[in-house]
Amino acid sequence: MKVKFFATIREHTRSREIDVTEQGCGSVGDLLQYLCNLYGRGLCSLLLEDGKLGSQIIVLVNGRNVVHLRELDTPLERDDEVSIFPVVAGG
Amino acid sequence: MMFGWTGNLLRVNLTDKTIKKEALCPKDAELYLGARGLATKIIMDEVDPKVDPLSEENKLIFMTGPLTGTFASSGGRYEVVAKAPLTGTIGASNSGGHFGPELKYAGYDGIIFEGRAEKPLYLWIEDDKAELRDASHLWGKNVFETTDMVLEETAEDARVACIGPGGEKKVLFAGVINDKNRAAGRSGLGAVMGSKNLKAVAVKGSKSIKVADPEGFMEACTDARTKLKEHPVTGGGLPTYGTQILINILNQSGALPTRNWRDGGIFEEAEGISGETLTEKYLVRNKGCFGCNIGCGRITRIPEGKFESFGEGPEYEAGWALGACCGVGDLEAVSKANFICNELGIDPITTGTTIACAMEMYEKGILTEEEVGRAIPFGDAEGLVELTRMIGHREGFGDMLAEGSYRMASKYGCPELSMSVKKQEMPAYDGRGVQGMGLEYATSNRGGCHVRGYLTSPEILGIPEKLDPLVTEGKAGWLKTFQDLTAVVDSAGICLFTTFAIGLPEISSMLRTATGINATDEEILKAGERIWNLERMFNIKAGFTAADDTLPPRLLKEPLQSGPAKGKVVELEKMLPEYYEVRGWGVDGVPTAEKLEELSIE
Repeated sequence: MKVKFFATIREHTRSREIDVTEQGCGSVGDLLQYLCNLYGRGLCSLLLEDGKLGSQIIVLVNGRNVVHLRELDTPLERDDEVSIFPVVAGG
Repeated sequence: MMFGWTGNLLRVNLTDKTIKKEALCPKDAELYLGARGLATKIIMDEVDPKVDPLSEENKLIFMTGPLTGTFASSGGRYEVVAKAPLTGTIGASNSGGHFGPELKYAGYDGIIFEGRAEKPLYLWIEDDKAELRDASHLWGKNVFETTDMVLEETAEDARVACIGPGGEKKVLFAGVINDKNRAAGRSGLGAVMGSKNLKAVAVKGSKSIKVADPEGFMEACTDARTKLKEHPVTGGGLPTYGTQILINILNQSGALPTRNWRDGGIFEEAEGISGETLTEKYLVRNKGCFGCNIGCGRITRIPEGKFESFGEGPEYEAGWALGACCGVGDLEAVSKANFICNELGIDPITTGTTIACAMEMYEKGILTEEEVGRAIPFGDAEGLVELTRMIGHREGFGDMLAEGSYRMASKYGCPELSMSVKKQEMPAYDGRGVQGMGLEYATSNRGGCHVRGYLTSPEILGIPEKLDPLVTEGKAGWLKTFQDLTAVVDSAGICLFTTFAIGLPEISSMLRTATGINATDEEILKAGERIWNLERMFNIKAGFTAADDTLPPRLLKEPLQSGPAKGKVVELEKMLPEYYEVRGWGVDGVPTAEKLEELSIE
């Protein structure tokens, strides 16, 4: 699946997007844990807080915020697109 | 003696060149707070809602709020209010920078302009001295030139609000620009100023603003400032990336309107016009308005090439309108067009969206190359820049574009291609993918507008709560609260962006300690509701009805073809009756007599 990073998240990943082909990323929770292992503690502290979805990030799966899906239990398929943002605003 | 407010208004009659100082009515100040609310009350009392907005019977008001110029967080705002030429509704648009605070320091809460000058004039205020001066030599000058020349003739540390050629030529979406780059941009209030032959207002003040409870006020302000600094949005994202940070998240959410809203909510070149790209390639530094510890403003340089330029912005709405809405993914062209909007004093949202409408009309064969003077397919970066310039000068086909998309498309028999509500173009959120924003556009008192009840905040950004953007349930109630609170914020004289980090309790606390009014949080929110209803009553008296609370057919009948909102239209018919009900209005959208009495609206 394609995973896209935006704004300050890129400071941790040093890339805009990656393809994740890893087995075992069947849910958003699995994917965030995989990204924790890949990018280390700085990003991990944003993605997960006490094993729950971080309060300072927005995770979209195919454009839908996972808080309106099944949060960390949201299932992921190979052709899904995941976008990860810090909390942002403007207007 | 009043606190927070100075207690003084300046009334300037441009026809007979008289200037009078008047006392602010304390009861009106308490009921309508200041800025947007208070100026609307004066317009309602003194202007016939059916008047031609560009006639001398219309009045133009510059008004600050009780927190403007104080230590309150981001308290640099003032509001420009008149009947609006673009929409025919009440027009109210606010701006930051330093002009508003300076007006307070000169000893005035606001200025009421009436009549029409025979020849161009500008107003120079230095504390108790106020005089009208000849502005013939400034007529035709752009905003930057005008500002510099006025500063040279008055005082180098004065503050200037003015119009550019757009306002002079009554472009229906011309703005009033202060401090060179901060704009009361929407509704066409610059055209009202131009119609009065008023080129600029310069002000310099040396007085102080007294607050009722200095210790309590400092405590309330410090609390608010701490929260702003510690919040990840106001203390992190906005200063770092500016408002353009929104381009990518709206695009990924499938709600970034593309090519005049024709191609859905996903722009394939969004990354190129994003806040990330702006920051990486073109940002010189960020900039804050008076007393602001957010600093979302951008100072930007396009270092070389055909769009080489330097200026402020673009902000998100401008970047979207001149970018994705026109199918232009070249941030250099978008920035250049935005700088031209600032120089010529025109609203970049309506500029971009009107050009986008013309591009669609061109692609449909409704507009020809001969009429426009060039081919204008979507994505034409050079055409975007050139048409922007032509609008500001009403040159060639720019004269038609200067009327806005609704009047242009109607003239060619295709009003449905104008993406506007009450003749003002909607900004950068597709209501099909953000349902609450659809209701917001339909009900905004100044036509298509995002800053009257910004439901994008809970629906997309999750602030202060996370609402599902695709559902309609409960959105009417949320919108009412947002609209009322926004009216309070605008009328207090602080920046709407503070509300990403603080809410009614903090704002009320600052208002109470500054002014000494003995009002609960609920009573202060009620003032917001009062302001909203007064604006509504102005529009009803101007001839608007529930039939005008609608959206372009594209949003109601053409489902999105891709993205998370695929298959969705705005379900307005579900939300609007509920909205009227939570507002306490009749099914005809008119505030009931009981509601008006409850709000003390005569």
